[in-house]
Amino acid sequence: MSISTSTTPAGSRRAWRSGVRWAPYVFLAPFVTLFLVFLVAPIVTALYTSFFSVERSGLGFGNANESVFVGFDNYVRAFSHTGFITSFGRVLLFGIVQVPVMLTLAIALALLFDSATVRWKRFFQLSVFIPYAVPAVVATLLWGFLYQPRVSPIVELLQSIGVSVDFLAPGTVLWAIANVSIWSVTGVNMIIIFAALQTVQRDVYEAARIDGASELRMALQIKLPMVLPAVFLTTLFSIIGTLQLFNEPMTLRSVTSNVTGDYTPNMAVFSATTLGGNLNLGSAMAIILGLVTFALSIIVSVASNRRKGAAA
Amino acid sequence: MGLNLKSRLGTALVLSAGSALFLAACGSDNSGDDDSGTAADEGPVTIEFWGWVPGLEEAVEQWNDENPNIQVDFFRMTGDDGDKIPAAIDAGTAPDVVQMSVHSLPGHIVNNRLSDLTEVAGHLEDHFTPSAWGSVVFDGTLYAIPQDSGPTGLMYRKDIFDEHGIDVPTTWDEFIEAGRELKDADPDITIAQFSPNEIGFWVQSVWQNGGSWNGIEGDAWTVNVADPESLEVAEVWQTLLDEDLVTTVEMWTPEYWAEINAGTIATVNYAAWFPVLLEDSAESTAGNWAVAPSPTFEGSDAAGDTGGSVNVIPTGTEHVEQAAAFVEWLNTSEDGLEHLINGGIFPSAVAGLEHENLLTEEEFFGGQVINEVFAEAALTVPATWVDGPTYDLIQDAFRDEFAQVANGRKTFAEALEDLHARTVADLTDMGLSVHE
Repeated sequence: MSISTSTTPAGSRRAWRSGVRWAPYVFLAPFVTLFLVFLVAPIVTALYTSFFSVERSGLGFGNANESVFVGFDNYVRAFSHTGFITSFGRVLLFGIVQVPVMLTLAIALALLFDSATVRWKRFFQLSVFIPYAVPAVVATLLWGFLYQPRVSPIVELLQSIGVSVDFLAPGTVLWAIANVSIWSVTGVNMIIIFAALQTVQRDVYEAARIDGASELRMALQIKLPMVLPAVFLTTLFSIIGTLQLFNEPMTLRSVTSNVTGDYTPNMAVFSATTLGGNLNLGSAMAIILGLVTFALSIIVSVASNRRKGAAA
Repeated sequence: MGLNLKSRLGTALVLSAGSALFLAACGSDNSGDDDSGTAADEGPVTIEFWGWVPGLEEAVEQWNDENPNIQVDFFRMTGDDGDKIPAAIDAGTAPDVVQMSVHSLPGHIVNNRLSDLTEVAGHLEDHFTPSAWGSVVFDGTLYAIPQDSGPTGLMYRKDIFDEHGIDVPTTWDEFIEAGRELKDADPDITIAQFSPNEIGFWVQSVWQNGGSWNGIEGDAWTVNVADPESLEVAEVWQTLLDEDLVTTVEMWTPEYWAEINAGTIATVNYAAWFPVLLEDSAESTAGNWAVAPSPTFEGSDAAGDTGGSVNVIPTGTEHVEQAAAFVEWLNTSEDGLEHLINGGIFPSAVAGLEHENLLTEEEFFGGQVINEVFAEAALTVPATWVDGPTYDLIQDAFRDEFAQVANGRKTFAEALEDLHARTVADLTDMGLSVHE
């Protein structure tokens, strides 16, 4: 990508000027290319694929394997797929509990680290953040080990004080997964909110302190309202993350069958395509999941904008 | 969760659409092997071979030395390499010979991915055990050459049985009875485990009982998951579960191996490929195990099988005959079988069952020649098992249903009823005909 090869001063100046027009595109090109190839193209292909179906008959042997246009058949099939629909309910329940708990923790920690009273701030911040650096699969394997009754020190400890729990029972396994994801992502959300807190002018605190506000009151009535945009941002990401839940339940499935093959929407898509070999149905499911995610994101954004507008 | 929204969003879409992209880009012009060469005398050709048996490198090296005109290029499959195969075949870039699980065959056949080998390899029937051959022929057409199989045997803790003076069971009724005796003698020990996540235990028993999950009748598939052969297996397992004679633990987990090492599970009735894994993960129990023939169902001395792997030649391969020649050598010749056996697999070829390298004394099993038991079993496995095009889905559905059985929400028989309905629906969804 040579922008200027001319050697004369006048020429280089002209090239420099035209370079101004080209430079943004040159710099954008790698991103745009990758974006088109790995995000837009797959979405378009999935959309296209979702309207077709492979025509077969009899035993299915020796067929030409032709794809025929079937309109919304695959969508109808996806909506009548009980496991797929149930999985949405499951992740929503998961989100309703996991997101508030995780955000409350993240906000509390961020406020704590921002207050003047905490020592070894860097060390504790890093400790809270480190789980985020552990890949979800590894984190789940690790927690999976702690969940298994006969090898878990936690279960053993609880049993020694007379509490008998089964973290992997049908009713509790969802919360076992929530625990893993809270452990993983609280740190990063804490960092985002903490970063937002740093942008608040220090004299505001000064004034509050002079007025006799306690640290707690400052945290709840000054700091929290000022970082609300960051809180909305993290809420948005968390909700999207919840709908896309895949790695944790998929990995936990290796230690318990109480996580079914279509436990989350993404797992249902995986099952339809990889196990069932039905790319068309899987595409339709993926599009539906994408649309639901999109709709929820918009709702959260609108709510957050309205809140911001009201505050202004 | 959290910030990686792009990658999450990507996962779902790439999963479903990524391979579609390849399909679309590469078209569907792999019209089969019509133009393939007619003989090995058309000059040197190179065959690409994907497989995972340890030591295949040496086998290929020997073949290449002896066959200058058919050179084989070997690629060792690891991890998820098998998942690349369907897209590669559809794109016309697949290897010429691929090792795969016997259970995946029909799923590939209905997608036109496997060459018809009836003409080039049909004459090999007598080289293999009836059950192994039976599982690679569909509707009269041969689609693969058997490589290894998983005939079953009863691995049991000889020390525990001896200590409590319990006889090694030879039938399933005796097995249940032995389970009761063991429970009475030592409540901490169960005779076996129930693992919802390891469907092979179920497959082998249904197969042993002369049943199957699917079948072919004329121009339609049959669904047999809830047939009498399966219900009989259900009865055995329901009794074991109801009387607490088995412990419920997921297979392959740290928890499972902890139990095995602690000696709280007294038998593992499983395939010929299992002993080596047992030895690896339960070193502390060395010398305590022995192998007996699997308990049998009434009126039969048949053993079960979990199925094994096969070699296929994908459609679109140019050199079907040369590829078949290599596959034949690898899986039926004295030299080929020796390489396979040394690699640690249990061969499907009858000649392999008598191979001296297979019949060796195993220190872990107190010096017993355990493969004598498995080799004898291999010849008694019924040739009844037919895999269906939705095998992977059924297997996954079985797991989900069996989890409910383990939780006491369903009985085995109820689970089988639901599985029958699910399997019929899955096949119908694919546009296939189903005899109900």
